[in-house]
Amino acid sequence: MTDIILQVQNVSIIYRSPRGDVRATNNVSLTLRKGETIALIGESGSGKTTLSLSFIRMLPNSARVTQGTILYTRDGVTRNVLELSDDEIRRFRWSDCAMVFQGAQNAFNPVLKIRNQFADTAAAHGYRDKAWVKKRTLDLFKLVRLDPQRVFDAYPHELSGGMRQRTLLALGVMLDPQVVILDEPTTALDILTQRAIIDVLKAMQQALHFSIIFISHDLALAAEMADRVATMYAGEIVEEGPVDEMFYRPLHPYTLGLIRSIPKLNHEQDHLVSIPGEPPNLITPPSGCKFHPRCQFATEKCRVDPPTLVEYEPGHLAACWHTDKVIEARPAAVVQG
Amino acid sequence: MATESPAVPSGPAAPSFPIARHAFRRFYTNYTARTVLQAIVTIWAVITFTFFLIRLMPGNPVEVYVDFLVNQQNMTYDEAYSRAASQFRFDPNVSLVTQYVEYMGQLLRGDLGLSITSSGTRVIDQIARFLPWTIFSVGLGLLISFTLGVILGTIMAYKRNTAIDHALSFLASVLSAVPNYIWGLFIILVLGVQLNLFSVGGLRGNYDPSLQPGFTLEFIGSVLKHAFLPVLIYVIGSIGGWMLNMRNSTVSTLGEDYVNVARARGLTSSRILLAYVGRNAALPMFTLLAINIGFIIGGSVIIEELFVYKGIGSFLFWSITQRDYTSMQGVFLIITISVVVSNLLADLLYSRLDPRVRVSGGK
Repeated sequence: MTDIILQVQNVSIIYRSPRGDVRATNNVSLTLRKGETIALIGESGSGKTTLSLSFIRMLPNSARVTQGTILYTRDGVTRNVLELSDDEIRRFRWSDCAMVFQGAQNAFNPVLKIRNQFADTAAAHGYRDKAWVKKRTLDLFKLVRLDPQRVFDAYPHELSGGMRQRTLLALGVMLDPQVVILDEPTTALDILTQRAIIDVLKAMQQALHFSIIFISHDLALAAEMADRVATMYAGEIVEEGPVDEMFYRPLHPYTLGLIRSIPKLNHEQDHLVSIPGEPPNLITPPSGCKFHPRCQFATEKCRVDPPTLVEYEPGHLAACWHTDKVIEARPAAVVQG
Repeated sequence: MATESPAVPSGPAAPSFPIARHAFRRFYTNYTARTVLQAIVTIWAVITFTFFLIRLMPGNPVEVYVDFLVNQQNMTYDEAYSRAASQFRFDPNVSLVTQYVEYMGQLLRGDLGLSITSSGTRVIDQIARFLPWTIFSVGLGLLISFTLGVILGTIMAYKRNTAIDHALSFLASVLSAVPNYIWGLFIILVLGVQLNLFSVGGLRGNYDPSLQPGFTLEFIGSVLKHAFLPVLIYVIGSIGGWMLNMRNSTVSTLGEDYVNVARARGLTSSRILLAYVGRNAALPMFTLLAINIGFIIGGSVIIEELFVYKGIGSFLFWSITQRDYTSMQGVFLIITISVVVSNLLADLLYSRLDPRVRVSGGK
């Protein structure tokens, strides 16, 4: 297919720690198409952020990619991100793949005006035309529904949390990247501001046609934003599929558990179920299926034999030996629209 | 700013007092006015305090001189006393309060008075003669140690937990743990006297006395040569602090989100180093620098005495031994003013460098 822009193949990442190697992600594959939004869901420590940091080679020094390729395609040219030179990766960042980190509140240098931080981003990627940079910046502010003149000349501390987040989104798409990674873009914002940010994001994507990798604990948000959803558990993708399939017809017990643990306002509180146990220790992960110690359907096979991703429905993959039991267990409609 | 406070009573009751209070509040909330007022009060308080404190020291100028004449020139006490009393413009029998009122009156007219022990010399002239040498030597030392310390501290932070960092941290700790006069003694006694690497006697004074002061290469060379050791000591004594401060400040700045985001934005590492890491990490350094400027004079006393460098520090030392009250007061006044002014400078500088604390005029 020609519209694939990011193809992640069998990527494994370990962190070296005094107690041993932490297998943060294990043999992960993921495909991102043009204009598509993929949501990565899963508990903290499931490897979502580590995986996406590897796409722009921003892993901490203690981390190492031990295998796999990350193929990025633009204008018919495909390159392996992991093999780019230092200068190439610097240029790749932001102009091809922008990452909006968790906690954007401190994303801006406090001593530089917003206009300068847009200008130096452009300059770092070879955009020398000051008039163009200014026009582009002001246009983007309009797109994210900020008062362009006010924000342009402001210092970061003069903006509210929501304004800063929108400013960061505007900065994120400034150089027309194909991929925008959003790591918990709405944490630390109040519910109304979250709403506004999501609306802005949708409008931006419509105008600029970039693809999004959306990392979130908030399943409702993921359901709203994503075309496809991938569930990560213990550094592996355990289920992946179209958003409706994932939320209405999950195949993996972990996805089912995540969906069941969402509080529902129009239901009785006793429907709320948590997943028993804790995420596993990734230095010495469990044998077989890593989810088996917490899984209600686990059998002897799960303890011994690690399942691999199998396509059950078109585009809907799961790594589980007992999808039939999950199908039996899932309620008629697990998530209200 | 100009909006009327609704709390101001507009009725006929409470006429003049709230208006005065309102005026005072407006004056006091004005940043500049408040700062200047605080500075003036501080200076007055220090002058008053030191005025009485130095007069509480045992002995006075006349007694010190009488002692000197009796012991060194074998005069009788009465002879010596009448000589001293006639030579000095100082009468120990005038009450402290009278002296204080007289002195403050002089100060208000901008007059630091005459030196007690060097009759006929104005204190202001003495200060003008000695102060530039101290500003030159201590200022140069401060500038060098600040620049070097900030650069080395940044290197340590970038190479944190490597051998370079450990070595430089150790060096910085040793340098800052030993007081600067110990380093001074070490250099004079070990390098000068024991090893005879330079002539201790030849480096006395501010320049070679056989030279005519002027903008000649020879004279400037001599000035630098004579200032070299004191400056070196000032650098050795303070560079460790700058290095460690800058290292810590840079390490914490490197952990900031905006530095990470700047890397994700694909900025060049030199741009990140200067505008993102350096600029933010150096903020507290500039405040420290400005405050340190205030201690130029106070910090120079022992070192100038040690190297026989004729600056304001050794002048202060000499004034104290002679109990030359007016000269001491003059130097203390200069010290106070420079500390107050440098603190003001630190405030101003910080608000220039950090937009978050900038006092907004408009908007």
